[in-house]
Amino acid sequence: MADVDIRAVRDEWVGRVFQEIELVVDRDRMLEWAITAGETDPRFIDPDHPEFQASTAFPTHINAARMLPDDFPLFGTGRGIDGGKSIEWHRPMHAGDRLTATVQIGDIYDKTGRSGTMVFIVNRMTFTDEQRRLVATVDWRMIRQG
Amino acid sequence: MRIEDVELGDELPEERPDVSLETVRRFVRAAQMDFPRFTDHDAARAEGLPGAVIPGIMSQSQLAAMIHRWAPGSAILRIDTIFRTPMVVGTTVVCRGAVTGINDDDTIEIDLTIVSEESGGTGVLGTAHVRLSG
Amino acid sequence: MILDLHTHSVRSDDGRAKVDNYCQWIRRKELPLDGLVLTEHRQFDASSDYHALEDKYGLLILKASEVETDYGHVLVFGVNEDLLHAFDFGRIDNSLPDVLAAAKRCGGFAVPCHPGRKNVGLFAHYERRGPVEGVEVVEVHNGGSIPGEDERSVQEARRYGYRGIGGSDSHIVSRIGSCATEFEDDIATMDDLVEALRAGKCEARTWPT
Repeated sequence: MADVDIRAVRDEWVGRVFQEIELVVDRDRMLEWAITAGETDPRFIDPDHPEFQASTAFPTHINAARMLPDDFPLFGTGRGIDGGKSIEWHRPMHAGDRLTATVQIGDIYDKTGRSGTMVFIVNRMTFTDEQRRLVATVDWRMIRQG
Repeated sequence: MRIEDVELGDELPEERPDVSLETVRRFVRAAQMDFPRFTDHDAARAEGLPGAVIPGIMSQSQLAAMIHRWAPGSAILRIDTIFRTPMVVGTTVVCRGAVTGINDDDTIEIDLTIVSEESGGTGVLGTAHVRLSG
Repeated sequence: MILDLHTHSVRSDDGRAKVDNYCQWIRRKELPLDGLVLTEHRQFDASSDYHALEDKYGLLILKASEVETDYGHVLVFGVNEDLLHAFDFGRIDNSLPDVLAAAKRCGGFAVPCHPGRKNVGLFAHYERRGPVEGVEVVEVHNGGSIPGEDERSVQEARRYGYRGIGGSDSHIVSRIGSCATEFEDDIATMDDLVEALRAGKCEARTWPT
């Protein structure tokens, strides 16, 4: 890992969109997710509720076919750990919504911690609806260990 | 819940969510991440993990559910969680929250943690930015 | 005077706390703190100005850094232009002896933090490679420690004759003040703090939260 120039990789890759996918929000998956995560708010577990919508962390499971660009450098052992996720909501996500998810590298940095030397790669997925309105933004901090 | 019902320092009622193997298995199927590290203790240990681990996004969802129970009808505008240490499926984890900021636009900031009851270690910490319903 | 010597704000990559909210929390919860030191990861935050918050809340807010070395993480107090040019705060593999020497040469003070951490703390490195000259003070109480780590820090610090400080290592608002450092004399500036650390006129403190 010491041979990879993190700053050069950062300068080259951050902000580059490398994938765009179309998806339809799956009602059954929304429901099962919310129920097994312990949601009791009817907005998330009652399909007949007038505000029935995807629960807060639902978009985080949507992965593009590629989580990283094809020719992205391999860091360390390649073993990955999930370092955390953030979701910013702009409008609710409903069953049957047709969305576009755009994927880019949000940030890259290295640090040391309890697990030793780590490279953090932030995968940023932005969801828009058919009217091109922003629905949600998910940042996924992938950790590659040295 | 309305903004005038909330004070800085208020603590949300702590919760011990269901992280049994059966429930985790159902969750990872819904999340399309049905990998052995989440559902098989032996396989997880072979990967160097302490046992089958609770998926981070399941923990994040449980924190969101806690907020919704405390403030029905509220909207979580942003939730950000850092996954610090793996937490093992079938153990007892404690979700906690505390109000750390009250904003002029009727939104609040909540600190979030999930702690292992067995070890006392913090598995997840984070924050949420929430708009109250009232 | 009691200060939390190890805190992070949103300026750190994994920090989620706004400094204003730290101040509100300290006052609301009536924590036994007179102030805090922001020790952002791998950088010195030169641009943020917290004087207005100091005046509003009656708290001392100082700025320092947490850098990364080949012997673990180190808090660097008294960061100035000379010190910023002495080594790369952004690197994760700085030489601990170099950091200690640079801090001393430039009028600052470097303190290895969470030294009791398994595998990655100062004392784990000592076990493998032997001690480093120039360490005088270590962080014996860290709010992010898991059971056993602070105990090891205290024990090993005693063994090597190091003095101890405390800090919460808070990354979210509600974790501030779990550990701190009590100073014999009033501290009004970073120079005062550095002088007190050099003279050993302080002691680590910890409270349940």
